[in-house]
Amino acid sequence: MIKVENLRKQFGAVKAVDGVTFTANSGAITGLLGPNGAGKTTTIRMIGTLIDIDSGLALIDNVNVAIDPDGARRACGLLTDSRGVYTRMTARENIRYYAELRGVEIARSEKTLARFIEWLDMKDILDRRTEGFSQGERMKVAIVRALIHEPTNVILDEPTNGLDVMSTRALRELIKRLKSEGQTVMFSSHVMQEVAALCDEIIIISHGRVTAQGTTSQLIELSGKQNLEDAFIALSDVLNTAATRKEAA
Amino acid sequence: MLATIVTVCKKELLDHLRDRRTAAMIFFLSIAMGPLLLFGLTQFIASVEKKAEAREVYVQGKDNSPEIVNYFARQDVTIKDPKPDFRELIKNGKHDPVLVIPKEFAEKFSTGTAQVELVFDDTRQDSGKVSIGVLRRLMLGFNAEASTQRLIARGISPQLTRVVDVQDVNLGTAAQRAAGLLFIIPWITLLGCVSGVTAIAIDVTAGERERGSLEPLLMNPVSRAGLVTGKWLAVALYGLTVATLTMCGFALTLNFVPLPNLASVLSISPAQYFGFAITMFSFAPAMGALQMLIATYGRTYKEAQTYVSYLIMAVSMAPAISMLAQFKDATWQLFVPMLGQLMVITRILRGEAVTTIHYLLPFAINATLCLVAVVLISKLLTKEKIIFGRA
Repeated sequence: MIKVENLRKQFGAVKAVDGVTFTANSGAITGLLGPNGAGKTTTIRMIGTLIDIDSGLALIDNVNVAIDPDGARRACGLLTDSRGVYTRMTARENIRYYAELRGVEIARSEKTLARFIEWLDMKDILDRRTEGFSQGERMKVAIVRALIHEPTNVILDEPTNGLDVMSTRALRELIKRLKSEGQTVMFSSHVMQEVAALCDEIIIISHGRVTAQGTTSQLIELSGKQNLEDAFIALSDVLNTAATRKEAA
Repeated sequence: MLATIVTVCKKELLDHLRDRRTAAMIFFLSIAMGPLLLFGLTQFIASVEKKAEAREVYVQGKDNSPEIVNYFARQDVTIKDPKPDFRELIKNGKHDPVLVIPKEFAEKFSTGTAQVELVFDDTRQDSGKVSIGVLRRLMLGFNAEASTQRLIARGISPQLTRVVDVQDVNLGTAAQRAAGLLFIIPWITLLGCVSGVTAIAIDVTAGERERGSLEPLLMNPVSRAGLVTGKWLAVALYGLTVATLTMCGFALTLNFVPLPNLASVLSISPAQYFGFAITMFSFAPAMGALQMLIATYGRTYKEAQTYVSYLIMAVSMAPAISMLAQFKDATWQLFVPMLGQLMVITRILRGEAVTTIHYLLPFAINATLCLVAVVLISKLLTKEKIIFGRA
C-alpha cells in the first residue's frame, strides 16, 4: 500500500507538487493521470526516494520514505523514464547486477526471472548483450531489473511511453498479473484509454494538486461529461477555472 | 556496504573488460607508447652521442705539417678540406671552425715555435661550438706530445713542466646523466596512470548519467558511498593494472630490446622498480578518483571528457613546468600530486637517496584525495541536478 499525505515539493519559485494526498491500495491498480508538467513524475520520484520531500508524508507499506529510504526502496519497485541498461552486458547480467545489489539470493532471483521471462517473452533476448536493443526490449530489461526483488509495491512512471503495440500489450498484461498477485500497482500516464482500461482508481493531478479521484464511472459522473477524456479535461482544469473565476471576481 | 562495494566493483570490471575503448587506451598508453617512446629516445641519444664523437675537423694546409696530420690520425680524427671561401662562410655561420697551418710551419716547428690559426666566429657559437673545442683540445694534445718528446730528447723529465696536474672529476654519475635524458620514464608512467583510467572513470560517472542508468541504480537499497567506493575500486584496479603494465613494458624494453649505448647507462634494478611501484600505486587510484569526481559533473561522456582533459593537460605539463622553473628537489613538491611522484621517481632513477617521507607523504596526500573524492561524489549523487540532469 502506498499512502501520500499533503506532499509538497518546490523547485525555485515553481511549486511542482503542492499538497498531494492519495492512497494506492494493495491488490489494486491506481493510475496517476495528468497533463505534462502536472507533477506526476515529481510525486513518483519523491515516493521512490529519488528526491527529498519538502513537506508532507509518503508511506510505502507503512515505511516512511523520508526516515527509512532503504526500507522504502526494498518495499517498492520503481520504473522511471530512465531505462538505461549496460550495453556491454547481457540482459541477464543487467538483471542479476540489481538482484545482487539488493541481496537477493541467486536461486531466488533466477526463479523470479523465470516467471518474467515467460510473462514478457524474453527468452530470445535474455543472453544477448543489450547493445542495439529496441525500446521495448530495453523496457523489459528495466522492468524486470526493477522488480527482481519481488517488491509488494510497483510504481511505473509513464511505462508505455515510446513503446510499440506489442510491448504495450505485454506491459498491460504484466500489470494485471501483478495486481492479481495482490501487489499495489501505481502508474502514471497521460494516455486516457490505458488508464481507463486498467485502473481501479484514477487520481487526476493538475498543477501539482489532486483535482479529482475515483473510478472511471465516478469521474465521469463527477464531471457531468460523456466520457473519460472530457471528464479528464474538465477535472484537470478545475483549478485553472477556479483561479480564473477568482481573478474575474 | 562491503557486499555492495564488491558487487559494484565486479560489475564495473566485467563491463569495462568488454569495452574496446578502455582496452585500446590501456594497450596504447601502457604497453605500446612507453616502450616506443623509450626506443625513439634512445635512438635519439645514440645519434647525439655519435655526432659528438664524430671527430671531423677542417684543416687548411695539411700538407704543411705531416706531424699534425699524423697526430690527428692517431686520435681517430678525420681531416677534411675546408671550402675555399671558408672565412666568409664562418662569418655567416655556414662553416665549422678551421685549423689553418701556414706554409712556413715545418720550418718554424723544427727550429722553435710554429704558429697555427684557429679560425672561428665566437658570435656564431651555435654552429661551431663542438668543433672549436675539439680542435683546441687536439692542438693542446699535439703541443703536449711534441714538447714532451723534445724534453725527453734533451734528457729532461717531462714531469718538470707539469707544476699542476689538472684532472677532470665529473660529479655527475652516468646514472644521473641518464636520468636527465630519460625523464620520459616517470613522465610516461605517471601520465599513463592518469589517462589510462580516463575512459572508465568517465563511464562509471558521466556514462551512467548519459545512458540513463544512474536513476535506477540509485533506487537500490544501498548507500551512495558503497556504490561510489565500488566504482572507485574498479577504477583504481584498472589504474594499478596500467601502472604495472607500463613498468613491465619498460622492463621488457630495457632488458630485451637491443638499444645501443643504453644498457650501460640505464639499468633499473628490482629495488628501483619496487620504488616506482610504491610511488605509482598510490598515484593511480588518486588520479582515478579525481577524474571520477570531475566527470560526475558531465551530463554526457563527451562533456566529461572535456572537463577531464584539463586535468590531463595539467598533469602532462607538470614535468615541463618543473624543468623550466628549475625546481630543486624540495619537500613542498611532495605535497603536490604529480610533482611529488615525478621528483621521487627521478630521484630513484638518479640513484639518489629516497627516504620514507618520499613515499609516505605522497601516499598520505593520495589517500586523502581518494577519500575526499569518494565522499564528494557520494554527496553529488544526492543532488537532483546530477541525478536527473540529462543532456
